[in-house]
Amino acid sequence: MSEFHDDYPHYETMYNHDEAHGKKARRTLWNVFWIMLAITIFELIIGSMAPGHGWTGALWLKVLFIGLTVVKAAAIVLWFMHLGHEVKFFKYIILLPYITFILYAVFIILVEGVYSGYPRNVTRVDQIFIDQQKELKSGHHGGGDAHATEAAHSEEHH
Amino acid sequence: MAHVAEFDAKAAWDGGQSPFRVSYGKMMMWFFLVSDALTFGGLLVSYGFIRHKYAEVWPKAENVFTHFPFIEQHLPLAYVGLMTFILIMSSVTMVLAVEAGHRMDRRGVTVWMFWTIVGGAMFVGSQAWEWYHFIVGTHVGGPEGHGGAWRNVWDQAVNNGAGGYVKQVYHGATMAVNEYGVPQFANYFFFITGFHGFHVFSGVIINLTIFLNVLKGTYEKRGHYEMIEKVGLYWHFVDLVWVFVFTFFYLL
Repeated sequence: MSEFHDDYPHYETMYNHDEAHGKKARRTLWNVFWIMLAITIFELIIGSMAPGHGWTGALWLKVLFIGLTVVKAAAIVLWFMHLGHEVKFFKYIILLPYITFILYAVFIILVEGVYSGYPRNVTRVDQIFIDQQKELKSGHHGGGDAHATEAAHSEEHH
Repeated sequence: MAHVAEFDAKAAWDGGQSPFRVSYGKMMMWFFLVSDALTFGGLLVSYGFIRHKYAEVWPKAENVFTHFPFIEQHLPLAYVGLMTFILIMSSVTMVLAVEAGHRMDRRGVTVWMFWTIVGGAMFVGSQAWEWYHFIVGTHVGGPEGHGGAWRNVWDQAVNNGAGGYVKQVYHGATMAVNEYGVPQFANYFFFITGFHGFHVFSGVIINLTIFLNVLKGTYEKRGHYEMIEKVGLYWHFVDLVWVFVFTFFYLL
């Protein structure tokens, strides 16, 4: 520790610990990992079978996914990044400004995102995309082969 | 040197010590991560806005990301699941390196840092593979695929030789058009996963640098392994962002 020549506290070494404490810390970390893995596997199973209609496209499922994501994020920040072990004031300095901004941003997309989807707020270019996509979707359900549909489309130009 | 119990939060503001009880470097890493998280937050919020706007015609991830290396079958989300597992795993090896550093265990730090770098490199490679398949697209392409897109192509033969636009089946994805759905889908996919992938790439380079310092014994001489903790913060942040990208791009 030859680097330190003042009586300022040595924060760099403050979290150093012995083997006994390390063992406990490692057990906690592995537990956090298993929980995160279980959440991810659960999300993947539900996510991969979700065709997006019925209960698999329901709002509560989306809210559940976002909730589980926030749980995973909290686990990473509090245990892996050790924010849970920091001084309370430092925790707030990091989390509060961020959470405030993001909550505001989420509020504003929910409001404006819905608003911009109203028919009178959709631009002409937007409408072209939307019509095109809908047309393709209905064509797909019809089951016609690509060339037939293509021919039909080029006829429109004659 | 153990856990300092006698920390008086009020007296800490009188000077002579850090009221946050962290070193300058670690605090600044945290501040940087908050700003970087705001950047990613902004990107994801803007993605959410556009997705709301085109909600009816937004493609479903289960229909787009169905490839898996060496397996011809249709395996929705399996590969991205593997990528997520690799990144979470490398986050665990990183935190174990930090823990080993707290015990001044040089060998432990070396081993765990090594596996972290391997995991990071695997993730970057997986993302390249994912991008490749996204860009090349499916055999079916366009409208017969999963929602699909037409491309307007100038054709001299149309309109009695005067030329005109005809619609063609499109395979794969570019910034302008993609076979999966509205162009914004590919735009946001490229931008956000690309920005995240670049962070992972930088993280691997940073980890590699610190790993070489560990091998050289820099931190042994310094008397503490706090540098591992600082790069660890960055690495966990990359994992943290992926957790959100994974949810918003692949699950919802």
